Parts: sequence; structure tokens; C-alpha cells
Amino acid sequence: MKKILSVLLVAVMCFSLVACGGSDSDSGASGGSSDEKGKDKIRVCIVYTGNLGDKSYNDSCNEGAQRAVEELGVEVKSLEGATAEEWESNLVSACEEGYDLIIGASSNIADYITEHGPNYPETKFAVIDTTVDLDNVQSISFAQNQGSFLAGAAAAMFTTKTDIEGVNKEKIIGWVGGMDIPVLHDFYTGYEQGAKYIDPDIKILQAFAGTWTDPLKGKELTLAQYEQGADIVMNVASGTGPGILEAAKEAGKYAIGVDLNQDNDQPGSILTSMVKRVDNACYLVIESVVNDTFAGGTTQYLSLEEGGVSLTDFAVIKESLGDKFPQDIVDKCDELAEKIIAGEIVVENYEGFGPEAQ
Amino acid sequence: MSAIIENVDKIFNVSLIYATFRSATPIIFAALCAALTQQANILNIGTEGIMLVGSFTAVGVSYLTGNWVIGVLAAMISGAFIASIMAVGHIKYNAEICAIGMGINMLALAVTKLLLNVIFKTNGTFSDPKIVPIPKVHFAFMDDIPVLNQLLNNWSITEWLAIVLILVLQFLFYKTVWGLRLRAVGQFAMAAQTAGIKVTQIKYQAMIASGLMGGLAGAHLSLGYSTQFVENMTNNRGFMGVAAMYFGGANPILTALGCLLFGFADSVGARLQAYGIPSQFVLMMPYIVTIVILAISMYVKYRNNKRKESSLLAPKAQLKTQG
Repeated sequence: MKKILSVLLVAVMCFSLVACGGSDSDSGASGGSSDEKGKDKIRVCIVYTGNLGDKSYNDSCNEGAQRAVEELGVEVKSLEGATAEEWESNLVSACEEGYDLIIGASSNIADYITEHGPNYPETKFAVIDTTVDLDNVQSISFAQNQGSFLAGAAAAMFTTKTDIEGVNKEKIIGWVGGMDIPVLHDFYTGYEQGAKYIDPDIKILQAFAGTWTDPLKGKELTLAQYEQGADIVMNVASGTGPGILEAAKEAGKYAIGVDLNQDNDQPGSILTSMVKRVDNACYLVIESVVNDTFAGGTTQYLSLEEGGVSLTDFAVIKESLGDKFPQDIVDKCDELAEKIIAGEIVVENYEGFGPEAQ
Repeated sequence: MSAIIENVDKIFNVSLIYATFRSATPIIFAALCAALTQQANILNIGTEGIMLVGSFTAVGVSYLTGNWVIGVLAAMISGAFIASIMAVGHIKYNAEICAIGMGINMLALAVTKLLLNVIFKTNGTFSDPKIVPIPKVHFAFMDDIPVLNQLLNNWSITEWLAIVLILVLQFLFYKTVWGLRLRAVGQFAMAAQTAGIKVTQIKYQAMIASGLMGGLAGAHLSLGYSTQFVENMTNNRGFMGVAAMYFGGANPILTALGCLLFGFADSVGARLQAYGIPSQFVLMMPYIVTIVILAISMYVKYRNNKRKESSLLAPKAQLKTQG
């Protein structure tokens, strides 16, 4: 009895160890491995920082990948991981597996690609959201500063609409990010500039949760900003973000979504979302491999003009606020977007970002 | 720095008191879970895992039945189930409790991820309007009293329950026969056995009670503090609870004070970040506080032991000098 139990215990432990160490999920198997072309189906592996199901950045990337599975018939493997050790080991194991294309889904992976990429010159790599200067790496980054500029402007206008329930007199807006990484500073730079463009005296509260996977931390930080007088907080926190949006609903205040259209996650509490088309980036890079136009060593920059970033249409909040909905915010944002595209407004970048960054 | 001085009234206002308690509550539950077994001299490292399973069960059952009470009860039962696995392994088969505890933590992480996928067909986060949260207690008469309204209104039921449980456990440990037996088992099991106390039975009871508490901790996290389940949503709160339990020497009230200190560090940090204090430093604060608290409590313990020892040794020392 004792023996059986100890064997069982060991088995359980082993199982849980295996299950913990970087979980993966196969998708695209539905397409059938016996496709007509034989076995030269293109195999893609995406290494995520954080988990799928964040209803934000990672899910957006996955949407693009799934579209590629359906339309281009590639095979996609997703590797999730919550900690830096998992990210690196996931990347290395993907390299060893010999995929045609390995996509580092966020800038957290960039250092590991820089480190391990040269050892696998035959493998094509792509990195989204930052730039890696290697011959076999295609980088795709976004003008999140431009999108955030619009979000900041919208927030700065919104905080003055005191006739809307939950909006106080103080001109304070908030911003909660996930990990303190350069990309998020590019977000913040735009957000701050946009808010100050509307009102130079506005005060912006900034906080980082230090994690992509702790919504409770996000909630606490957001509530703290509301308690300090903010009435609208922008979420830039992937899996930490659902807590930020929940805090808005619970406190009767407002939030701005990010990456995907999050307006419907807490309907009526989310003014708009700064949509970042990570799905397009992911799809485009897979497509380039399929069409054999993959250009390693280059950077693609998706800005407001190319539709890489944008605000949503405010439809959900419009419905919930009814007559009180401030239409002038939408009009002003459209006007600002045109000015940015026309080059009349130049949105600043955080150091190391922007179209010329290499 | 000047920004902080300017905004000191915003950082340290009335809402900070509730914020402190709010972020401390999950840790208080976890610490009480650890304290229950610690009194019987069992270190419940599995608190984290028990909590996580509790969070998942609470959300799942609340979603399926549409009733938060059943959700919370189910979470407590699932916590007790996990704890009884640990209890059988440790008490009956003499396995090292830390090893089982760590195993349970890893198992909980993997099992909840798997079940999330199998039952709810989703990854990472599970939130749905059909999840019924633990209601908040609203006192209508406080609405017009600004300070009280900010301080005490709209607490979640489990937040009030945390205070009640601290007092109940304090009473249970130090004023009841069961508590006396529990502590006797913890301090010197053989002596307790000689005195006719059923040691094994008491240990099982402590483990199961701890499981119930851990399940409740999880339910509060996923249905009270928020209304969603996220993979690894405990995020080391269970371990912080164990640290706070050490700080309080498994005394519920002292333990809760330790938790409040964590909550305070967390809440003040959340506010300071807004004024240009580097986030890395602020995010380190709860952990620095953990280390400082543990260091102080260990030192106090060491001093007390030293004093006891010297009072025992004193007569001998005298004998020596005389001899």
C-alpha cells in the first residue's frame, strides 16, 4: 500500500512538473496533417510572454495566427509562459524543433532572440513590437505613441465632462502599465503628449504592475489612482488589464482599453480602446514566409496611417451614456488623427522607437 | 521628491485605510490557513495551491449554479479535499510536508489550467457576467457621512468575515479545550499523547480546518476581491500569508497585523508610483517588508529563547563558580 502510494505520488509530481514547465497548445491540427501538398506545410511557432486568454495583446496575435492557419494552411504552435525563464526555454526549444518561422510575440523575447538567433541561421525569426538587428530576423513595430496620443487626448477631454456620472472636478487622468519595458514608455510618451496637447495643466498618474499576469494587482493600482482623483485610466497591461477594467466598473469610473477592442469587456465603463493590430503584424509575417518574400534584417513600422493603430468608434459608451455622450471628443480625435497623418502634429517617440529606429 | 510632499494629502488620505485592508484581506485568509496547521507544528507550504484550487472552484461553481454561497462552500470543500491529501501523505505516510506542499502548489497550477481549458474552453482568464460575485455590504445610513462612507461602506461580505474569523480563531486557539490540545500537540506531541490527547486526530482536524480556510481565501480572491479566475491568480499571496504567519507566531491577531503591514506597503506603493518613484523600487517594497518582518520576528524569537535558556542555566552557572 505504502509503495503504491509513493509511486502514485511521484507520478503526480512528475505530471505537475511537466505541466508547469511551459505549457503549449497545438492549433492548426484541425487542418489535417495530411494536406495535399505533402509534408512541406510551413510550420510556425509563436513564443508568448504571458498567457493566451488575456483578451488583449496575446489574443490579438493569436487571432492573426489563426487567420493564417485558415487562409494560408500553415501549422501554428503556441508556447505560453509567465516567467522569463520559461520564455527563454520556450524559445530555445522552438529553435531546436526546427520550425520554419519563430515569432517572438513581444519585446520581452527580443533579448533572447538576439542571443540565440545567430546560432540558428537557417531559421527565420520575427519579433513584434520592437527591433532586433539580425539578418534572419524580421521586426515589426507599431506607432503606439500615435494611438496613445489620441487616447490621451480623449482622456483629457473626458475628465472635464463633469456632467457625466463618476467624473470629478479634478483634471487628473491615470495610466496603468504591465511590466516596465521600453515599449510601454513609448505608449506613455504619446499618452502624455496627447493629454497635454488638450490641456497643458493636466496631471497624469502613472503606475506599473510589474507583471503581465496579475489582474488583482492591476485592480489595486487602478483603484489607488481613482482614489487619488483620476476618473479615467488607460490600461496597457495585457493579462493584468482585466483587473483594470473591472476596477473601472466597480468604482463607477472609466477606463481605456488596449490592443484589442475591449469596449465590450465592461460595457459602459470603457470610453474607447487603443487598438493595436498585432493580429495583422502576425499574419503579415507568416504570409511573407508563405510567399517567400520574408525580408530578414528589416523593420516594418505600422502607424496610424497604415491602420496599425487606431481608436475604436466609441459605439458602446455612446449607447450607455445616451444624451450625455460627448460627441466633441470623437470629432476632435478624428481631427487629431488627420493632423498626425498629415504630419501637422509630430508625436514624440520614446528613445529607441519610431520609424527610423534600428 | 517635491511632488510627493505636495501630494501628501492625496497619498495619505482616508481611502488608504480601506485600501490597506482590502489588499491585506487575501493574505489574512492565507495566513489564518497557515496558522491553523502551524499550531499543530505542521508548516502548510501548500497554502498557495489550496487557495488557487479554491479560487477556481468558487468561480466555476458560482458560474454553473448562479449562487455565490454554493460557490464559496464548494471552494471550501475543495480546499479541504486538497488539504486532506496533504494530511494523509504527511501524517499517515510520514512524507516531508514541504515536499508535499510544493507538489500541491505545482499540481494546483497545472490542474486549474487544464480544467479551465476542458470545462470552460478558454485560456488564461475566465470572466463572465454569469459569475455571481460575493455581494458587498452597503449601509444606507452611512451614505451621507463622508468619512464613514469611505471607510466602512461597500465592503465585501468576506472582508467582514475575515475580521470575525481572526477573533474566532484567537478564541479557539487560546480559550477552548480543542485549542489547548492543538497547541499541546504542536509544542510537544509525545507529551500530549502521554496526556491522553489523540494526536493524529487533532492533526487531521487542523489540516482539514486549514483546507476549509484556504478554500475560503481562494473564494474571496476570485469572487470577493474580483469576479474572475486567472491562471496563477494567487501570485504568491499564499506564500506571503505563510510569512505573515511566521511573523505573528501563528497567533491570529499578531498574524493579521503582519498582513496589514504588507497591505500597507502595497497600497502606499501603488500611490507613490504615480509621483515618479521608480516602479521597480515600489514593486520591491512588499518583499522587502517580508524580509524585514521575518528578520525582526526571528530576532525577537532568538532573544526570547536566549533569555529562557539563561534563566535555566543560571543556577548551574552559580554551581560552577562555587565549585
